Amino acid sequence: MAGASQQGGFAFDLCKRNEFFEAKGVKHPGFTKTGTTIAGIIFKDGVVLGADTRSTAGTTVADKNCEKIHYIAPNIYCCGAGTAADTENVTGMVASQLELHRYATGAQSRVVTAMTLLKGHLFKYQGHVSAALVLGGVDFRGPHLFTVYPHGSTDSLPYCTMGSGSLNAMAVFESGYKDDLTREEAMDLVARAIRSGIMNDLGSGSNVDLCIITKDGVEYLRNHEYLQAKTYERQFPQKFASGSVPVVRERIYDIKKVVTVVEGEPMDMEA
Amino acid sequence: MSGIGSGYDLSASTFSPDGRIFQTDYAQKAVDNSGTVVGIKCKDGVVLGAEKLIISKMLEENSNRRTFPVDRHAGVAVAGVAADGRSIVSRAMAEANNYKNFYGDPIPGHVLAERLGSFVHLFNLYSSVRPYGVCTLLATYGKEGPQLYLVEPSGTTHRYFGTAVGKGRQGAKNEIEKLKLEELSCQEGIKAVAKILHQVHDEEKGFEMELAWICDESKRQFQRVPQPLVDAAEAAAKAALEAEDMDD
Amino acid sequence: MDGTMQDLALPVSMGTTIMAASFDGGVVMGADSRTSTGAYIANRVTDKITPLTDSIYICRSGSAADTQNLSRYVQLFLEQHSMELGDEAEVKTAAKLAQMMAYQNKNMLQAGLIVAGWDRHEGGSVYAIPLGGTLVRTPFTIGGSGSAYIYGLCDKLWRPDMSEADCQAFVVKAVSHAMARDGSSGGCIRTVTISKDGVKRNFIPGDSVPVAAGELPAPVRAVQA
Repeated sequence: MAGASQQGGFAFDLCKRNEFFEAKGVKHPGFTKTGTTIAGIIFKDGVVLGADTRSTAGTTVADKNCEKIHYIAPNIYCCGAGTAADTENVTGMVASQLELHRYATGAQSRVVTAMTLLKGHLFKYQGHVSAALVLGGVDFRGPHLFTVYPHGSTDSLPYCTMGSGSLNAMAVFESGYKDDLTREEAMDLVARAIRSGIMNDLGSGSNVDLCIITKDGVEYLRNHEYLQAKTYERQFPQKFASGSVPVVRERIYDIKKVVTVVEGEPMDMEA
Repeated sequence: MSGIGSGYDLSASTFSPDGRIFQTDYAQKAVDNSGTVVGIKCKDGVVLGAEKLIISKMLEENSNRRTFPVDRHAGVAVAGVAADGRSIVSRAMAEANNYKNFYGDPIPGHVLAERLGSFVHLFNLYSSVRPYGVCTLLATYGKEGPQLYLVEPSGTTHRYFGTAVGKGRQGAKNEIEKLKLEELSCQEGIKAVAKILHQVHDEEKGFEMELAWICDESKRQFQRVPQPLVDAAEAAAKAALEAEDMDD
Repeated sequence: MDGTMQDLALPVSMGTTIMAASFDGGVVMGADSRTSTGAYIANRVTDKITPLTDSIYICRSGSAADTQNLSRYVQLFLEQHSMELGDEAEVKTAAKLAQMMAYQNKNMLQAGLIVAGWDRHEGGSVYAIPLGGTLVRTPFTIGGSGSAYIYGLCDKLWRPDMSEADCQAFVVKAVSHAMARDGSSGGCIRTVTISKDGVKRNFIPGDSVPVAAGELPAPVRAVQA
């Protein structure tokens, strides 16, 4: 470390130190990753996206009711698995790029555009941005569903799953998928797929969020299935019901006795 | 800044009130005073010919070139400031080379012509540079067959059946219009070009003729016409001209 | 994390069988449809034959991310090129651009490519661009992990004077053999046939892939009432 500041440029001394510690068996802190079950399906009139709501830091549950279905555009939403910070930010970046693009073109965003922006960004970072996504939406060409991998590859599929619970969810899809499902059938199948992740995958848990996108609009069903209520509700900030504080004293003043109103000239507003 | 219209001709970055760019016009004038350069597209190729005025009796033959190969399938003849011409040739070679390295295929005539036009045009935009005093006749033979282009100092680019630039351009163009280019072979073409160059040449001074072609006979490669053929063409041209004089 | 969990963190790659063969008047390209992350099949109906222009396609093997993004760049370059050219791009040019991308970024890429298509000047042509980024024009070529199993078969079966139907049959046979022996190849067979008459796509579902190397045929599907 000594002398590093005199040379300019980057100093890699700390990397060497970290390697040394690692070789001695020191575990370095990791990032908050969402062990996750996310899934999507194309049905007759649109797409259904689904996600669990558990966020983990190592083996600890960091948030029991987080949101994993992110807004991309009024007609496009995106489920995220991987590092929470990366999924939040990459979807946010694309959402803002698409909003500007809509202002410039005056046209509805396309799902492939969102997909191309996402894959371009993820490919540029060569997998270091850990975002594994299920992207779904409806545009003038109809419903679209994509998986986007952290390294920047994409697949276009009628039904897909991602995250640590993807195998559980895919097992449900493979047994239950049919072409041209109704809205209710599709919602039920996706909820079932997510539930199988929640029940059988350690990284996934809590509740089922759903998002149904059709050409007529979006229905975002937060906690569609509320499987695991919070064991402890936070009590702060305390809310007091009206009337719970007793009235000790009441005084009424007649304001006319204190204040006198004097007639005057209007102010001259001419410049 | 005195006199009529003065001040507008100092830089190519300023329009004159009636919409001219004087520096560009002057560059064209530099070409107009040069020795005549003729290009014709025949049925099997393109012939380029240059009239090179002999500036000194002590000048060695072929020491002042006007035609240059750019690629196997493309070459140019330049009229105007010779030094500017060489700079354009080197740019053309770079463009041809770059295109081939990038796309794995020889550069098509119209792409090379457009790129040269864009290059030359750049020098009509800034006060810090002067336009090229050169007209470039570009001969190519690719997938689209033989083609002849002219790139002017302004950057304007056109494809021609035949054209001429330099001192004797008007006479030369009149003669070219009389040729039946769609029936003419390049073998006949070099004789026609030789004849035109002799016809439009101002008798007082001597001149040296330089001919180049790209045709089936040259295996679709740009080359200077072999000296025996040039000599034969020149002899035939002189004989034809003398015969015409006798008729008059 | 168990084995499969770690697999999901691996880059997505296409243990693959891809090929292209020319016939009198065009080319046939073929590929399996398996994409895997480690031992998990991420996509069993992948399309590994991607269009570069209307009449030039590319077969991709190696990293899905690398080859998808490389193809995007080549598509972009070809579109710009054809605008300057005022004409459709040639297969030769598409192959050269793909080769340049593959070669100049060889240290960052895992990409084995086959570029094939039809143009007015050369007719049908096939170009192989293996891992290092060389460019070879061949009458036919095979690629991906599955190709190791079918060199002998292809050398024996390929003939220079095939008809379109013969060539298509040859490609399907070769790919189905590779899928039978290579664990990383499988699923369905996709083919793309390109000639002066345009592009034809063909899709053979997994349960209709010809039985190749002694495995049991797929059970007959129950007829739905």
